[in-house]
Amino acid sequence: MKEELNKIEEIIGNPNEIKISNIQELMKTFFVKLKNRVDIYIGDYPTFIEPVYLEDNVKIGDDVLLGPNIYVGANSEISDYVEISNTIIFDNVKIGENFKLENCIVAKNSSFNFKNLNMKNSVLIGFANLKNELQIIGF
Amino acid sequence: MFNKNEKDLYRIKELESTNLATDDIRETVIKTKKEVERDNNILANFIHQCFQNSKIKSFDIVGAIGAGKTALLEKIVEILSPKFKILVVCGDITTRVDANRIEQHNAETIQINTGRECALNAYHIHQIIKNKDLDNYDIVFIENVGNLICPSEFVLGTDKRIIVVSITEGEWVVEKHPMLFKMSDIAIINKIDLKERLGTNVKKMIADAKKINPEIEVITTSAKTGENIDKLMKLIGF
Repeated sequence: MKEELNKIEEIIGNPNEIKISNIQELMKTFFVKLKNRVDIYIGDYPTFIEPVYLEDNVKIGDDVLLGPNIYVGANSEISDYVEISNTIIFDNVKIGENFKLENCIVAKNSSFNFKNLNMKNSVLIGFANLKNELQIIGF
Repeated sequence: MFNKNEKDLYRIKELESTNLATDDIRETVIKTKKEVERDNNILANFIHQCFQNSKIKSFDIVGAIGAGKTALLEKIVEILSPKFKILVVCGDITTRVDANRIEQHNAETIQINTGRECALNAYHIHQIIKNKDLDNYDIVFIENVGNLICPSEFVLGTDKRIIVVSITEGEWVVEKHPMLFKMSDIAIINKIDLKERLGTNVKKMIADAKKINPEIEVITTSAKTGENIDKLMKLIGF
């Protein structure tokens, strides 16, 4: 599981040279291996459709639906009314209120400080206070 | 940014009652409730079509906490798993206790923790099946969140709905929960092994179920002793 995660992180670490086919294949393999780990997080009771894997110190807001196929890295924060499926979120990420993400990857240390985003099949990168400040790479 | 109406709309999920809406948003609340119900039904129809296309027999099992849904499923899965490929979706507020129990009998399980929600809905099931190759399965069981009220709000697209009550819940449990009996195909009255000790009027429970829904098939069982499990298997078509 960690092997695929490291490879994906390496690929998106160089956004200009992302090979889309590599990412899709790695995600597919990663989700097959993904285990469930939802017993430790900070927040209320969200809806989990397994497998959902939460690293340490993840914060989850109200009315959140995570799953299936979700990995959330350490110290990341999911705001209220968020719905995410088939997505990898790396460490130290902040997802804004009312985001709906499907089949996405969020790069580590990204922070999305705005509300309402509906995104599919994309790598999301950056520190953004508005949608147009986001770096979005479709796949 | 959200305006006031948008914020109120989100609150509706939690309120789920038109009576609690202030006059200025009452119309919006009613419209939204209707749309949610309609959208659930559309998804349920789609799910049913997917199951049919893959020749899957599917069952939604509802009932109160402790009625014996999981114990019955353990018995059923134990009998069927040598011959059929089974997927069991378990709904609970939290934990995967039920999924772990059922997994012991060689079925694939997926746990949904609903958090604050008191029933599974078609969206939850759709999220699962769109990530699965349904041709890999023969039977899907969905064990709904344990209660006799909320699951009546949402159909899930299964062939049949099975309601489980137990005689420990008292002989009035059926007449107190008519909606789910109206919407079910099979009613199981479980823990029949305790009948003598508890003195529960099981005939009344059966009569109440038939009065509420004349079409419903009613069976008494004991998941503990295995009583009438063979009859239950025939009733669900195996």
